[in-house]
Amino acid sequence: MDFKRDFPIFKQRPELVYLDSAATSQKPQIVLEAENTYYEKLNSNIHRSAHFLAEEATLAYEATRQTVADFIGAQKHEIIFTRNATEGINLVARSFGETFLKKGDEVLLSKMEHHSNIVPWLQLKEKIGIVIQYLDIDENGQFIFDGSQVTDKTKFVSLTGMSNILGSIPNLKPIIAAAHTKGAKILIDACQLAVHQSIDVQQLDADFLVFSAHKLYGPTGVGVLYGKEGLLKKIPPFLGGGEMIQEVFEQSFTPADIPHKFEAGTPNIAGVVAFKAAIDYIRQISFDEIQKIENELTTYALEKLSRLPDLTFIGPKKAENRGPVISFTMQGVHPHDIAEGLSQKDICIRAGHHCGQVLMDAWGLPATARISLAFYNTKNDIDQTVKTLEEVHKYFT
Amino acid sequence: MDIYAQNILDRYKNPLHKDKKLDATASRKEANHSCGDSIEINLKIEGDKAIGYSFAGAGCAISMASADMLGDLIHDMTTDEILALKKEDIYEMLGIEISLRRSKCALLSLITIQNALIEKQEKLKSWTDYI
Ligand SMILES: Cc1ncc(COP(=O)(O)O)c(C=O)c1O
Repeated sequence: MDFKRDFPIFKQRPELVYLDSAATSQKPQIVLEAENTYYEKLNSNIHRSAHFLAEEATLAYEATRQTVADFIGAQKHEIIFTRNATEGINLVARSFGETFLKKGDEVLLSKMEHHSNIVPWLQLKEKIGIVIQYLDIDENGQFIFDGSQVTDKTKFVSLTGMSNILGSIPNLKPIIAAAHTKGAKILIDACQLAVHQSIDVQQLDADFLVFSAHKLYGPTGVGVLYGKEGLLKKIPPFLGGGEMIQEVFEQSFTPADIPHKFEAGTPNIAGVVAFKAAIDYIRQISFDEIQKIENELTTYALEKLSRLPDLTFIGPKKAENRGPVISFTMQGVHPHDIAEGLSQKDICIRAGHHCGQVLMDAWGLPATARISLAFYNTKNDIDQTVKTLEEVHKYFT
Repeated sequence: MDIYAQNILDRYKNPLHKDKKLDATASRKEANHSCGDSIEINLKIEGDKAIGYSFAGAGCAISMASADMLGDLIHDMTTDEILALKKEDIYEMLGIEISLRRSKCALLSLITIQNALIEKQEKLKSWTDYI
């Protein structure tokens, strides 16, 4: 099955080898059409005007909320639309953090978190004086956890479900269980995980979970925050404005009920509507199929790459407990030069610290090169990349 | 494969000013964290002239070649002349087309040498001065 046919960018740029899907995925035709159709047929503001067009737009927007809820096993009103995952984490750090945490309380992160799951907590630290602790990471990209890292002082745990740097899928179960035993709440950054396997928030028992539509074949400018109903009801709104209120008086206001109390202002309506098409599309292919393809590609890429001279994998070397994201370095060739060499042959990869400076510093790495695959990639993409990497290596050494 | 012009590759592989010993009177480290380039520039200043130049660090070919070629460019310049250097001077020195995504690689040595000179002053250069 040639999935590239579903993605117009590969028609526009037939030479393109896109191995940067962890940064943002390409978008299938049906998502682009859904966004266009929204503007052509439904465009109006939601939840506001008393006319038929606004009603239809509202129904379309809310239909995505139901689809997202079904996608992760949540209830509809537990789904909040944000701009991106980053905004969701900021919302939790601010609304939950400032309400329930106090000076000296510990927040447990890991060293392989994306900056967007570190900086909001550092800001909270500056503001109220929480203490931030980090789980170490082993060479397979798993958390080093023996129970002792969750203490009586731990009030919040915020961890990635899959590393955007190493590709590893860490075992979250024991940490979530330990956190809950101590009464701490937990947020899962599912930005990468949600793209590669199905998620059930009930089974995970996550209190909060975030991801971004743009990595999940949807448009940019749409993020999802899931929160348990009871918690969302207890925390104050993050931003204030239209849409999020019930009543406004000269000196006070009452917020709307969840989820609307967290959706201030006119949201990215077209993006949210189009995101439904993205989820429907991947559900139709199924995660079983996506995983089969991505596992095969990852195994193939690891095997081919391992034969290159001077190449070192950063993170897991095998295809188990990981998604299709592979970081590596090449002795004698800076990652930026690797990316430049590949770029000149129409191959897109990422080079740098991947918004994971804490891990890079802990491991003494200035930068890595990162290949990230999606089910639309092919073995031919990998062959071309490996061949070009060989040439790049020769060029510099 | 021909990723960079020959002059860049030559200076990257065989630098003239890298890790040279120097009784430095000014020195400064800067890094492009997001791409993983970092350099330290050491300068020996006598009167108002830079009479010695050396750099250390690690980074991509453009950042390293730029730092090395800068050693030639500033030879015998006054500190005021160094401070007056513009990004166009660096691009001209490199002699290759610099895309937006590589501009920080190319200019890291410039911001480092200028900040070495004005470190004691109030206002260090920031990337918004150039990009
Ligand atoms: C693991 C992880 N967390 C968070 C983010 C931030 O996502 P966004 O920029 O869409 O908010 C990313 C994306 O780069 C990511 O990979």
